[in-house]
Amino acid sequence: MSYVATIDEREVTISVEDLGGSNYKVAIDGVEHVVDAQLIAGTLWSVLYGNGSFEVDVTRLPAEEFEVLIQGDCHKFTLMNEQRRAMIRAGGKGSAGKAMLTSPMPGKVVKLLVGEGQEVEAGQGVIVVEAMKMENELKAAVAGKVKEIFVEEGQVVESGAKLLLVE
Amino acid sequence: MFRKILIANRGEIAVRVLRACKEMGIRTVAVFSEVDRKALHTRYADEAYRIGPAPARESYLVIDKIIDAAKRTGAEAIHPGYGFLAENPLFADRCEKEKIKLIGPSAYAMRTMGSKTLARQTVQAAGVPVVPGTVEPIATEAEVLRVAREIGFPVMLKATAGGGGKGMRLVREESELSSSLRMAKSEAKSAFSDDSVYIEKYIENPRHVEIQLLGDRHGNYVHLCERECSIQRRHQKVVEESPSVIVTPEMRAAMGKVAIEAARAVKYEGAGTCEFLVDAKRNFYFLEMNTRLQVEHPVTEMVTGIDIVKEQIRVAAGEKLSFRQEDVRQTGHAIECRIYAEDPDRNFLPCPGEITSLRVPGGPGVRDDSGVYAGFEIPIYYDPIISKLVTWGKDRTEAIARMKRALGVYVVTGVKTTVPFHIRVMNNRHFIEGNFDTNFIEQVFFKEEEGRKLANEEVALATAAIQLFTEERKRSVAQQPGEAAGPVSMWKYSTRPGIRKIG
Repeated sequence: MSYVATIDEREVTISVEDLGGSNYKVAIDGVEHVVDAQLIAGTLWSVLYGNGSFEVDVTRLPAEEFEVLIQGDCHKFTLMNEQRRAMIRAGGKGSAGKAMLTSPMPGKVVKLLVGEGQEVEAGQGVIVVEAMKMENELKAAVAGKVKEIFVEEGQVVESGAKLLLVE
Repeated sequence: MFRKILIANRGEIAVRVLRACKEMGIRTVAVFSEVDRKALHTRYADEAYRIGPAPARESYLVIDKIIDAAKRTGAEAIHPGYGFLAENPLFADRCEKEKIKLIGPSAYAMRTMGSKTLARQTVQAAGVPVVPGTVEPIATEAEVLRVAREIGFPVMLKATAGGGGKGMRLVREESELSSSLRMAKSEAKSAFSDDSVYIEKYIENPRHVEIQLLGDRHGNYVHLCERECSIQRRHQKVVEESPSVIVTPEMRAAMGKVAIEAARAVKYEGAGTCEFLVDAKRNFYFLEMNTRLQVEHPVTEMVTGIDIVKEQIRVAAGEKLSFRQEDVRQTGHAIECRIYAEDPDRNFLPCPGEITSLRVPGGPGVRDDSGVYAGFEIPIYYDPIISKLVTWGKDRTEAIARMKRALGVYVVTGVKTTVPFHIRVMNNRHFIEGNFDTNFIEQVFFKEEEGRKLANEEVALATAAIQLFTEERKRSVAQQPGEAAGPVSMWKYSTRPGIRKIG
């Protein structure tokens, strides 16, 4: 299977082939390696890359985003298979100009900074969520009108909970 | 000696105090809020007492509930840890009235040191150097100018009612004074409805160095040398060490001496800390005294071999300090990294949630003061600190090497932690050289990090691709006819659309 990673503006092609057990043949921009990858717990992999032994923590975010921690360094990139990429290129994304703001962590809604129907700028603070004694102002991802607010001040929310919709 | 002690706290510090009590053969009582039923301190204590709902102001901060728990369980003393009620003189008053010994200084010492003005006057009278300036509000512009000239520019204007940087203005030259004063006053007026300001000499690029103290009620005082706490983010200490690379033996003796005088001035009992700002010429100025056990006390324990919590308990029971100043030796070097449930790669966003797996480092010279375990769900209501990792080495180089080694194998999954941030700090050239001040993290470190080339990119890409590959294969197997419903996604974020970066 072939994949494309995008790091900043740079594109990297990766192919993966199962060799059985926990071994894979991985080609990065055409250069082949045999990689032994064992899932240890949750998001943590033990990886033998060549003869190098690495502990790799992989966090998968929405929109094909990945955050990979190795020895204190955080690698951020998007990664998807080639079909998916072709689909997105063909304009199959569909929801441009519409953005659902969700809570990035469990916490309590301390303050709504906007009301329904209000026009907002991209990057404008719209809601304050408190977790662990820290207040975090969340910002609108796109400019538009606040279509719907799903929470009230004082409400406790889970990670990923819908907060408000900007259209 | 006490037979039973109640610990009015939670998390790692409650566990730390419990450990001391266990070693001393003292029975322990934990108090816990509704979300802390399964917390480590609740499980670790001999007895545990429920004190109400999750928000601290309905549980850990309610004096009546703590006192009630102490009475019902027959605890003779209360250890407050740090935070919560630890520096609340009303709590100290109440303990005294109820004849329960609070392990800490008197309400009088807390009140004096808790007030900016009183603390400054008290220590100044005891011969302790303070940052030149006034603490009292200054009425006229002419008076501000006179004081500024006297102490020398740059100066800082601060709101008397201040906090959080509001109503604060740095003035580098005389020509800026008039307009800065106007702005400081107007900011102070709108933030605190009080436009009074005072003036202080501005210490450029200061280091934060503090002295650990112990006192007993028989008039004995000792200091346990210094801790260097200049590695701070948003005015919060994140890495501490002892000794400090800038403190000479003469300076240590001088700082220790004045810190003891400050403690003596308020008849200080128990463990306390005098914080100082140190300028580029190694002049030191009293900042404040913390009338409690500090988060970073373990670095001092590692270099002196003295168990500060046990000494606190002994002097609270009326015993004399078990050693004298000349017995205190600073041996080797210790470093502490505070591990928070925050994501250093997402602007230190808090990360409460369940710890799905945990592997803590061990081996020579490593100490992990933790308050969590695998399977524990970190609540949203309290401080994000989950552990303090401390290493000791024969010198600073070995202590740093051990810290890097220990951080490298510290694994927490399920929540993000500041472990990666600490690895990067330990690898930073300026940190290794000991060349930093309190502005280092925000003004130097983050800038240097931005353009840094990351190692092992291929390994990161290969692992992510393998993960995606196995995930897609599983999904396609599940979609074949005759299969049961698709497997539950094992990837925490995959079912959570729309996560946005926050500013």
